[in-house]
Amino acid sequence: MEELIAVSLGLLAGTVTGIVPGAGVTVAMVIATPMLMGFDVTQLLLFYMALASMVQFTGTIPAVFLGVPGETNSLPAVIEGTKFNRRMMSQLAVGVSAVGSVLGSVIAVALTFLLLSFLVDHVSVFFSNNTKFYLYIFVMGFCVLVYNRGKVLINSVLCLIGFALSLPGESDISSDLRYTMGMEDLEFGIPLMPVLIGFLIVPTLYKIYNDHQRVKQFKGNDVAFKKVLVYFMRCLPSSIRGSVIGYLCGFVPGVNTILATNTSYSVEKRLNRNSPGRQLVASETANNSGQFASMLPLLLIGIPITGSEVILYSLLVDAGWSPFQFDNVANNADMIFRDIVPWFVLANLVGLLVAWPFAKQILRMFTASKKYVIISLAIFMIGLNTYLGIQDYRTVLYTICLIVFGCVGLLIRKHEPVPLIFMFILGNDIEAVFLRQMLI
Amino acid sequence: MKKTIIMLLSVLLVSIAKAETKQQITIINNGKAGGSYHARTQMYRVGLVAAGYDVIYEDVGKISQAVKMFKETNDPTVMVYSNNQVYKQDLFHTAENFVMLEYQQPLYICQTNRSKSKTSGLTVAHGKGYDTNLLNKVLGEDIVLVPYKNSSAMLNGILGGDVDMMVNNQGMSLKYMESGHGTCRPSDVLPVMVATVIGTNIDVQAIREVIFDITMDIQFIEYHTSRQLVRPTSSWQTELELTQELEKGYDIK
Repeated sequence: MEELIAVSLGLLAGTVTGIVPGAGVTVAMVIATPMLMGFDVTQLLLFYMALASMVQFTGTIPAVFLGVPGETNSLPAVIEGTKFNRRMMSQLAVGVSAVGSVLGSVIAVALTFLLLSFLVDHVSVFFSNNTKFYLYIFVMGFCVLVYNRGKVLINSVLCLIGFALSLPGESDISSDLRYTMGMEDLEFGIPLMPVLIGFLIVPTLYKIYNDHQRVKQFKGNDVAFKKVLVYFMRCLPSSIRGSVIGYLCGFVPGVNTILATNTSYSVEKRLNRNSPGRQLVASETANNSGQFASMLPLLLIGIPITGSEVILYSLLVDAGWSPFQFDNVANNADMIFRDIVPWFVLANLVGLLVAWPFAKQILRMFTASKKYVIISLAIFMIGLNTYLGIQDYRTVLYTICLIVFGCVGLLIRKHEPVPLIFMFILGNDIEAVFLRQMLI
Repeated sequence: MKKTIIMLLSVLLVSIAKAETKQQITIINNGKAGGSYHARTQMYRVGLVAAGYDVIYEDVGKISQAVKMFKETNDPTVMVYSNNQVYKQDLFHTAENFVMLEYQQPLYICQTNRSKSKTSGLTVAHGKGYDTNLLNKVLGEDIVLVPYKNSSAMLNGILGGDVDMMVNNQGMSLKYMESGHGTCRPSDVLPVMVATVIGTNIDVQAIREVIFDITMDIQFIEYHTSRQLVRPTSSWQTELELTQELEKGYDIK
């Protein structure tokens, strides 16, 4: 019963977190901390697992319908989902994403079962700088060669802009401040939210609004589940590919699901350039697969590799868990399959069932008053940016960044911003990984 | 009836009087969720409320912004702190702000089993804020220093096979030893980290008693015990002198 309560609360929190743009698993864990302090170890693990899984399902809904990413790993869903939206097939996009997510989770569990002993012995390979170095080379190569119809120059410029934006403040390898121009607020770097809103959401809303002008009577097609399954079967190879790529990337500390989604998306973009469905399914499948894989280092050897897992880890230790028992990995593995996996499968099925009706509701709301939804969303994003600025004690910087990036975003709206955002988010880590690679 | 009304009014007045005499105190959270600063702040926050304080909680989450707020405030304020931040934040422990030394922990030097036979060119992971000159003095010139963002990144690095050694805090070093991949020893040359509580616009002696009582709570004791944190309790004066002495170790020359 206690397990059921923990899973239910996790699912509920995941549903809300996924639908609210800008929220994420880490934020949800921080908000839920007072409640979680009363949980025991199993309840904590189940809550986190349900939360993290559910977010992957519901996060697709605002990404596809509203063009707003729930989390940074929803970028491909925004880009490809918008294409579905224009063809009045948003529900199909959400449907195939949800089915793909379930498959991704199942494949992740199956891979874990098959590779368990190998993983226990070699999981730390994914922690090595060398692994990260080659993965980054691989993904950066894709960023330059694949996006914007393979226009290398444009992609390179976007990458450089993203990297330049990641530079101000402290780097990951030195506590010295750089490129702050004497501004105290820049000591903590350029904030993420204005970059996301400016380069991604503003152009997306602009495009959706213009579509509205063209298509006065926008109506979303109600898509039967059977049709979703038929469409999904066509994308099955992409989904399986995405699951495997996502699973492997899920072990990379700090960047797991972002790397999983973007790598899988980039690969699929290369293989199936003109198939937004396959690209969407591959990235969303990779997301869920990567999410499960990212939990394994923590569950098996007690090493948290994401921000939200650090919070979970702290709560687990306070709840009396002694996770870093390397000599007792077999017990940890047994615990994963006995206590976690059954609930994980259930959480994914609930995710599928919840994402489906929610998608319909949002579609109805959206089609009934698209113009007002866009305006409300724009106001919400400005409000969210200001709120986060206040929380971060950097309201002025947040506002200035939003205005500047919003204008630039509109100017470059014809180009896919993924290379820019990817380099902005990972620029500091890439720099540190490359430097260490030279030293080691 | 009359008696009941008088009794109720008396209770109400006493409650109001009590509420009015409640002392207000601000506690600044300067750490991210999951970290030790954050965890300790939460426990002090709960303890101060239980001790009858009207607690204002400022969730800053970043040490430099928190220090700025701490320096500028005119209200009674407390904040958890540590001696490894004093030079960077330009906020030193003084008789005016020092409340209590909570625990101390040495830095550990860990080495992988597979590098034990290696005699030169050892790669050493260190935190980005560490004094590299000091590390060279302690470990020799014939080493390659490899910077990492934080203590957990260092642990990942050494587990992933990036480096032969790491200089890390107690928590991560104990974890590494648990892995069986190598050994660690506390350094008697590298600076010792001291976790403290500081206050401003407040009677430090009076608040020390309250803070000390909070740390005697079972939750705090469990926190210290589970992390093997050593707590050198003595007089306020001795704790201050020890803290001031140990903070000099973080002066990067």
